[in-house]
Amino acid sequence: MQRGQALRVGLVLASPIVVYFLAFFIYPLFSLFQNAFTSDAGSFTLANFQQMLSDPILSVSLRNTLYYFAGSVTLEYSVGFVVAVILYSYAGRLKTVFRTIIFLPLMVSPVVIGLMWQMILNKNWGPLDYLLSPFGLGQVNWLGSQSLAMPSLILANTWEYSPFVFLIIYAGLQTVPPQLYEAASVDGLSRFQTFRFITLPSIRPSIIVAFLLNSIGVLKGFDLIYVLTNGGPGFSTYILSFYTYVVGFSFFEPHYAAAIALLFLAIIGTFVFLMLKFTSVEEHLGLGGGKGE
Amino acid sequence: MKRLNILLIIVLSVVCLIYFFPIYWTVVTSVKTNLEVFTRPPVFFPSQLTLSNYYVQVNVFRAVSQTAVGSIPWMIDSTIIAVVATLVSTFLIAAPAAYSLVRYVRSVWLARLILFMTMIPEAVFVVPFFIIIAKISLLNTWWGLILVYISFSAPFSTWLLMGFFNDVPKSVEEAAQIDGLSPYQIFYRVSLRLVTPGIIAAIILSVISCWNELLYALVITYSPFPAGAQTVPLFLTSFIIAEKSFNWGGLAAAGVFIMLPTILMGVFAQRYLARGLTLGSVKG
Repeated sequence: MQRGQALRVGLVLASPIVVYFLAFFIYPLFSLFQNAFTSDAGSFTLANFQQMLSDPILSVSLRNTLYYFAGSVTLEYSVGFVVAVILYSYAGRLKTVFRTIIFLPLMVSPVVIGLMWQMILNKNWGPLDYLLSPFGLGQVNWLGSQSLAMPSLILANTWEYSPFVFLIIYAGLQTVPPQLYEAASVDGLSRFQTFRFITLPSIRPSIIVAFLLNSIGVLKGFDLIYVLTNGGPGFSTYILSFYTYVVGFSFFEPHYAAAIALLFLAIIGTFVFLMLKFTSVEEHLGLGGGKGE
Repeated sequence: MKRLNILLIIVLSVVCLIYFFPIYWTVVTSVKTNLEVFTRPPVFFPSQLTLSNYYVQVNVFRAVSQTAVGSIPWMIDSTIIAVVATLVSTFLIAAPAAYSLVRYVRSVWLARLILFMTMIPEAVFVVPFFIIIAKISLLNTWWGLILVYISFSAPFSTWLLMGFFNDVPKSVEEAAQIDGLSPYQIFYRVSLRLVTPGIIAAIILSVISCWNELLYALVITYSPFPAGAQTVPLFLTSFIIAEKSFNWGGLAAAGVFIMLPTILMGVFAQRYLARGLTLGSVKG
């Protein structure tokens, strides 16, 4: 096939996504900037960004986002990682059963997850209080108290997303060639040494990708917060994604919401940038892992 | 060592029990009698099972019953929206785009752009999308949500399918070319069929994400049923958020109804989904 013809075929096949890209990516992005830099009257202004500096709810939301992010990623990552390693090395024939069960939360709608945890955490008839009663906690107001709402949210979120980390790490473990383990046992390495010097270096890409995708997923989170605490009590579970929605659709300040969305995009952009850096796009395109265009 | 193994199996069993418990609790609450839903200590194994939460009408709030059957109109809307958005995005947009990128355009920057689009949080575009959908007067319609959902699932499916098209051996396409097929015929009749597992994964993941999506459903179809085109997540949230719920058994039954299709699809296609969910970083 000639070069000109190849180009034409490529363009024809890609034309639907190009149209979609212009209408539903470039235009919204343009509209986001336009809204963020204009006032209600339609003139250019930086007021929306100045408003951020003196917005107490925004600073609370940012602090909560950090809390929620640190708590969720730490828990999800450690649980997902440890369970993947133990399950891969020790579960034997039970592997498939265990793996299927751990996979389930990823398939459940976050709204239903909200419903589940509303029931489990209910202060009057929820089972969690009862299960913890041997520790002498009594009736705990999990979702209704300022100090416990965020930890409860992190708990539910961990249930939802640790399987995701599990999935990536587990798949990484599956790609380690068995010959490496054989060589390690010939060399007389202990189990810990094998893990430290064979397994960990081999699954390094999975370790990084799991962390980045987990971070992006946590920052994106909206549904579970909306259903479980709806930002409350007070502003104690407002995080950036939730606040963007509230400003736009409860306060009806689209210009300010657009400015906050840009801030949000900048924050998550760091992780997205790293993810782009660590993903072998060339290999995905079949360019042999080289750096060529 | 033997003792360590047994200990770890026990630990794993407990972990799996924890993962399974919330699902069990929802299912078991949905078949409890109302009396046993609200007792303290809670009932873990109900003494009496009932299916009344699934169909008995409790028409108090907004004349909508908080039961599984009450959620059916929302389920119909959800199904239509998810299916149309998925079919359009997979077959009309993502598959040709992915094929073009892998076989013809081969631009690393365009591929990066696609990957970038899959990672943008939904909340970032919520204001501009609302403005667009309002401008073309599609608020509170199926089409409004369909257009939005296509814009989220198309880049994702494109990225996913790129990996699958890349695995198709070039020799197959060259053979087809010698047989006299045009480039479009090769795409449609040969390559597209060879990536069926990828198409299945893309379809299932896209249907699940449309089915579960909340933020845009809230914003774009705010007017309540039967005026608008509301999806199932809105059915549940309208009761939970407003604390208007008194019928938790019925809501649990609706929850079972809502999670059942996605769980079934997920377990059925588990092997393919791992690769999709992890943006191709996993080739399991």
